[in-house]
Amino acid sequence: MNKKVTRIISLMAVFGCTAIAFTSCEKHDANSPGVEYMPDMYRSPSFETNLTTLVQKSDGTFDTVAENRNPAPGTIARGFMPYPYANTPEGYELAKVNAHNPFERNDANIKEGEELYGKFCVHCHGAAGQGDGPVAGKLPGPPPPYTAPDKINLTEGEIFQLITFGKGLMGPHASQVSQAERWKLVLYVQKLQHPDGVFPAPIAEVKAPAVTAKAKKHKK
Amino acid sequence: MDTIFMIPQKKLLAIISFLFLSFLINFNTASAQDAEKLFKQNCAVCHSLGKNKVVGPGLEGVGSRVPNDAWLAKWIKNNVEVLKSGDAYAAKIFAENNKGSMTVFADLKDNEITALIAYIKNPPKPKEEAVKSSGSAAKEEEKGVNPLAVLIGIIGFLVIIIGVLRGVRHTLQNLQNEKEGKPEEDAIGPWKEIKNWMAFHKRTVAVIALFLLGGVLSATWDGLMGIGVYEGYHPTQPIAFSHKIHAGDNAINCQYCHSGVERSKTAGIPTVNVCMNCHKGISKGPVTGTAEIAKIYEAAGWNAEKGIYDKPQKPIEWVKVHNLPDFVFFSHQQHVKVGKQECASCHGDVKVMTTVQQMKPLTMGWCIDCHKKTEVPGMKDNPYYESLHKKLAEKYKGQPITVDKMGGIECAKCHY
Repeated sequence: MNKKVTRIISLMAVFGCTAIAFTSCEKHDANSPGVEYMPDMYRSPSFETNLTTLVQKSDGTFDTVAENRNPAPGTIARGFMPYPYANTPEGYELAKVNAHNPFERNDANIKEGEELYGKFCVHCHGAAGQGDGPVAGKLPGPPPPYTAPDKINLTEGEIFQLITFGKGLMGPHASQVSQAERWKLVLYVQKLQHPDGVFPAPIAEVKAPAVTAKAKKHKK
Repeated sequence: MDTIFMIPQKKLLAIISFLFLSFLINFNTASAQDAEKLFKQNCAVCHSLGKNKVVGPGLEGVGSRVPNDAWLAKWIKNNVEVLKSGDAYAAKIFAENNKGSMTVFADLKDNEITALIAYIKNPPKPKEEAVKSSGSAAKEEEKGVNPLAVLIGIIGFLVIIIGVLRGVRHTLQNLQNEKEGKPEEDAIGPWKEIKNWMAFHKRTVAVIALFLLGGVLSATWDGLMGIGVYEGYHPTQPIAFSHKIHAGDNAINCQYCHSGVERSKTAGIPTVNVCMNCHKGISKGPVTGTAEIAKIYEAAGWNAEKGIYDKPQKPIEWVKVHNLPDFVFFSHQQHVKVGKQECASCHGDVKVMTTVQQMKPLTMGWCIDCHKKTEVPGMKDNPYYESLHKKLAEKYKGQPITVDKMGGIECAKCHY
């Protein structure tokens, strides 16, 4: 009888140690994901978004590089139309008069613009575009209100150019919002500027050479 | 009722004109507070009062740099005009600052500009902020005590006490025996004593053994089920980025940074240019001071003194928290754009997390549970799914069309 009891006890000790071994490896260390079965399925040799890989250099040593690579030079994503105006004072002057919104000013488009505004603009520019979002107070200075005298009459092309390339403290947002989304944002920003629905008359298109001359003057 | 009508007319006129005049004067001299407000509203977006460049140059010592105050006033009011006039100093600073043009402030009044210049020349001393210097003080963390170690400690302590007490008892027994003239008792080993006890209490031993066996089995089962499940994983990241500050306190939408979520399989880790959209202007955080934000500048190659990107860039190696194995397909786009799922339904309330932690198990059972319960709200109005939706509505009359009804729990949907 005593022998049997001893056997049970030793068996339990073995089980206990196994259980402790399984559970104690887990979650105590915040930096460890826990026990893995077939870890090669979790960290595979194939390239994955936002991870790193080892690349052998010419001298035989290895280097850790990001798996996200730049596209081959000259490639263009499907459906992408290059934006013709450069991030220069000249480009700005050209976009001011020549860039026009391909989207109609209707409720559906403005509503989409409003949704995008809530994701990409509101934390600095504030819900009404008065430059009073929660982040604005932490910047060295808040963004100027959309209705400021020098901002209220910005053309659609100018607003588009500003979202695309940024200005002053505002960074370029082209990597986050697509061209179509930016044009919808323009619609909503204009609605915030002119809640009465009366928009300033568009500036007559200026032919490129004339603008270049103007831009040259500006550059001086 | 001796009100305003009782006052002689001449006196009344005098009072009115005095009030009017003081009103005018009030409007004509912008006070120091007004200047501060003016500066914050108009200038601070691009200029700091110190040496560092934000967008335009820092304004410390500007009074001794520029030709004179009149020039500065002219420049503030309309810098384009000054540039056009061919002014040499204007051309020099224009070239020095990467030919970025300054906003024209045609609406600022002359007295406001005078007040601004006075304010810029003698700025108020920056307040000493109670931000902890990033270093030893911030790093002091409470070290948690492992409960298992405490338990082992207590058990060890009890074993020692039992041993000592047994020894004492044995000695006392022998003393008693000596008194009574009995022979000395042999010391019995603890192991033998336990065995003896167990031989006399078989039923108790059996019950305890059953309980222990059950506990051990369930612990083993739980341990095995936890293999490959990362729930609770919250690794230290290379930059102490806090979602609580960004998404919680500052109410920045998740998609501002994870903008790929509606158009890609992965939500995406923002590239550092997205960080710089705000951190170009914010170089000091409320918790870690400048130390962590400096790491962003290092990654972006940003030269904070000159205000340009002229250093080598270095990617940030974030540690992936939510990791699905390669044998399963998952697309954020599907779930967020058409499924209209909230980020929080799979990622938990990230808005309160200082370090991101995996809140859900991300196991297959967990996926399927949700697919059996959830309807697809983005499907009804989407013309792309019109015919499918019609067919399903006919097939399951009146029932909610959940994900599993459109094949959302078929093997090949996720494993192929």
